[in-house]
Amino acid sequence: MNGFLNVSSSPHVRGADSTKSIMYDVALALLPATAFGVYRFGLYSLLVVAVSIVFALLSEYMFQKLAGQKVTVSDGSALVTGLLLGLNLPPTVPLWIPALGSIFAVIFVKQFFGGIGQNFMNPALGARCFLLISFTGIMSDYVVDGVSGATPLAALAAGEHVDLAQLFLGFTGGCIGEVSTLAILIGGIYLLVKKIITWEIPVCYLASFAVFELIFGTGGGLTFVLAQLCSGGLMLGALFMATDYVTSPITKKGKIVFGILLGVLTGILRTFGALPEGVSYAIIISNLLVPLIEKVTMPTAFGYANGALEGKKGFSLAAYKSAFTLCGITLVAGLALGGIYQLTKGPIEKAELAAQAEAYAAVCPDAESFDVDETLEAAVAALTAEDGTVADGQFGSIVYESVYAALDGSGNQIGCVVNVTSKEGFGGDITISLGLDQNGTITGMEFLTINETAGLGMRATEDEFRSQFVGDAVEQYELTKDAASSDTQIQALSGATITSNAVTNAVNAALYLAGSAAQ
Amino acid sequence: MKLATFKGGVHPDDGKRFTKDKPVQTYLPKGELVFPLSQHIGAPAKPVVQKKDTVLMGQLIAEAGGFVSANIVSSVSGTVKAIEPRVTVSGAKVDAIVIENDGNYTPIEGLGQYRDYTKMSKQEILDAVKEAGIVGLGGAGFPTHVKLMPKNPDAIDHIIVNGAECEPYLTSDYRMMIENPEQIVSGLKVMLQLFDNAKGVIAVEANKPMGIQNLQELVKNEPRIEVVPLKTKYPQGAERNLIYAVTGRKINSTKLPADAGCIVDNIDTVIAIHMAVCEKTPLMRRIVTVTGNGINEPKNYNVKIGTSFAELAEASGGLKEGVKKVIAGGPMMGMSIPSLDVPIVKTSSALTCLMQDDVERFEETACIRCGRCVQVCPSNIVPQKLIEAAMKYDTTAFAALGGMECCECGSCTFACPARRPLTQAFRQMRQAVMAERRKKG
Repeated sequence: MNGFLNVSSSPHVRGADSTKSIMYDVALALLPATAFGVYRFGLYSLLVVAVSIVFALLSEYMFQKLAGQKVTVSDGSALVTGLLLGLNLPPTVPLWIPALGSIFAVIFVKQFFGGIGQNFMNPALGARCFLLISFTGIMSDYVVDGVSGATPLAALAAGEHVDLAQLFLGFTGGCIGEVSTLAILIGGIYLLVKKIITWEIPVCYLASFAVFELIFGTGGGLTFVLAQLCSGGLMLGALFMATDYVTSPITKKGKIVFGILLGVLTGILRTFGALPEGVSYAIIISNLLVPLIEKVTMPTAFGYANGALEGKKGFSLAAYKSAFTLCGITLVAGLALGGIYQLTKGPIEKAELAAQAEAYAAVCPDAESFDVDETLEAAVAALTAEDGTVADGQFGSIVYESVYAALDGSGNQIGCVVNVTSKEGFGGDITISLGLDQNGTITGMEFLTINETAGLGMRATEDEFRSQFVGDAVEQYELTKDAASSDTQIQALSGATITSNAVTNAVNAALYLAGSAAQ
Repeated sequence: MKLATFKGGVHPDDGKRFTKDKPVQTYLPKGELVFPLSQHIGAPAKPVVQKKDTVLMGQLIAEAGGFVSANIVSSVSGTVKAIEPRVTVSGAKVDAIVIENDGNYTPIEGLGQYRDYTKMSKQEILDAVKEAGIVGLGGAGFPTHVKLMPKNPDAIDHIIVNGAECEPYLTSDYRMMIENPEQIVSGLKVMLQLFDNAKGVIAVEANKPMGIQNLQELVKNEPRIEVVPLKTKYPQGAERNLIYAVTGRKINSTKLPADAGCIVDNIDTVIAIHMAVCEKTPLMRRIVTVTGNGINEPKNYNVKIGTSFAELAEASGGLKEGVKKVIAGGPMMGMSIPSLDVPIVKTSSALTCLMQDDVERFEETACIRCGRCVQVCPSNIVPQKLIEAAMKYDTTAFAALGGMECCECGSCTFACPARRPLTQAFRQMRQAVMAERRKKG
């Protein structure tokens, strides 16, 4: 015997699992989903995932180096974060998206809060939601083979038929790693068998979500519920993201509560929310409630009843108070997210109607009331295609909206209001309302919808530009860059030719419709 | 068949392969024997011999120092060499009687005389147990005669013989089931004599099928005795978990097994009861497993209490070159010792010698909240929260979170993938809380 014997407090042996082995097991379990994603969407998607992983690792390394901390990149947690983020991105995103997302996930969500074990929400999901909010267009663009295929959820929301088998296997649109339910399940079962995760969270999540959809789902029926279960980020979320150790409760009861909370929140968000997908938001909201859930679900020590230890025996009001608080917060969070959309939908429509009525009154100042006139409608309909296109595109991309008769106090028609939309605005659709008297003289022009650039295109709404259209009885206007030399000429807004053009085209289309209808 | 068990627990490598097929050898000491006066729970024993006194094998050398205390008997004949502080397994120096062995093993009068326990009164049996200096040999060292005198003996309906031997590497109890099952059953029958309303249960982990078979064969005509196989899982033999596994009753740390109508004693303790009552032989020997990959010849020994561990290691071919850790007991709850020059006491069950030290091998990392500690805790508390309180040395929060329910089994530490020293911190905190309580009175 040479040297000294080691002395330490018992136990003297340790289990085989380490943080590192667990992280690499999770990464391994994600391989089927990754492989299928690459098979389905092509090599570019592999690049997206790779960039995501590389930036996650780099961010962790750089941060720890700069902060003078011990570098723990090899523990695999940054790898899992990068991989999960990559799998949660649409397959054709530009490569700066995964890079930015990984930097945000590792530095802002994880390291700023103390590194591994200390983050308050799932880093990959935090980053995904950050990207969704910041770059909505890019993040919800699921282009496959050059066709912008609707995701199954969008299709379901629109009430379309969805092939369950295709959905289960993953031949559908969506994020790289979330399309194949089968591939995700293989990984999830691996984690369950290796006891890396326990059944409580995924089972309670999926079951409570299924029950919620069965009761409140808009599609109704078992097929709809199954389709809902297999679509979007639900499976990936339930098996890989909700089960994230750091951001889920550690108590068994807590895991059950957490799972149910997730199921209900996802149900509320998917069914009543404005977005068809609700998994990411449901998980990060629930992440924030974890400390509270743990507080309420602390287990009763062996040999005690009802959570009693020394000094506090039997029924504990405090514990129930916390439970009520938790229910309250869940309800408020759910209502706030899902409910606001429902609550505001009605008022927004009403406000829009009121704005329209105001606009009609402004374009036909002499009219007392407006009414639907079938003769006018029929005449206008004859000039437009079924999808609303006016005069085969003669005025650019113009869509007919509606036409109303303007009536005086005794109910006689004194003119009409024509509403059309130009699809060619710089910042989106421009809908105008044009008022004409019986002689074809323009009595007014108002914008119902316009989102042009402030200071440039938005100047179209100012009287100087708008008044050029009023008081004339012309067949068509012509746009000019110089000062208008006749009634038929409209001086374009400097620096906003596209807006000027779209508005003039819209007015011309309205004039065409009104003129033809009057004949 | 559904095996009796508890919730939680872990499955460490049981290491029993080293010694489970090695018959128990009797080892006779060569050098001096050391008898610490405190090798049980309770007051230290008071010496009744003086330096240079001649003692016989089986002679009382120190008597119980209070109600909760135990006699100490010389395991050899010889001369009292000294009464002085000696280093024990815990590393502390404890007053001890040192006896020079004369090698003759001259017994005191009547040693080994047969007694028919059925003709003895309850008090006579209890006195015999007390005289023999028997304590809980499973490790706790609680005086057995005190355990056998509960407030209400009629309320005791279960005498449980703890044959779980869930501690990895240990095979001493198993060897007894193979070699001396009659003594186990006899000891249990003696105990049943004390409790009219009780039935006897011998609980054995299912990884000892031969032991279960032997015992079942012996008790098939004993209406009051039953052998209950237990699921193999650590810490199946922890008292509170064992009571739950056998009876379904749950007791917390503030209760005694007797509060649940149970008396629990380890296999070797029950054999000691048999020897004390039926063979008039006090507690002088211990079955010790010398094992692990760090010893040349792993073996099971029948050894005189007071013998040095160093002698046993030598008898086993010595420690291997480069051995890292030597543990008195098993790897989950045993105490690592800096030197082999410490005496075997009543509660010594094994010497585990390991070539690798996991504690040294693995680095502690940040908690990832995986929840394994919560899943494995047999006391159903939340180590992850306890460690937060322990790190702040917040004894109030520690106690409020149920820290005093911790039985220090080490399951959480074993399961922790971040290799955090949970049990170690809890042990410290528990001592701090107990010290605070003592101060308050």
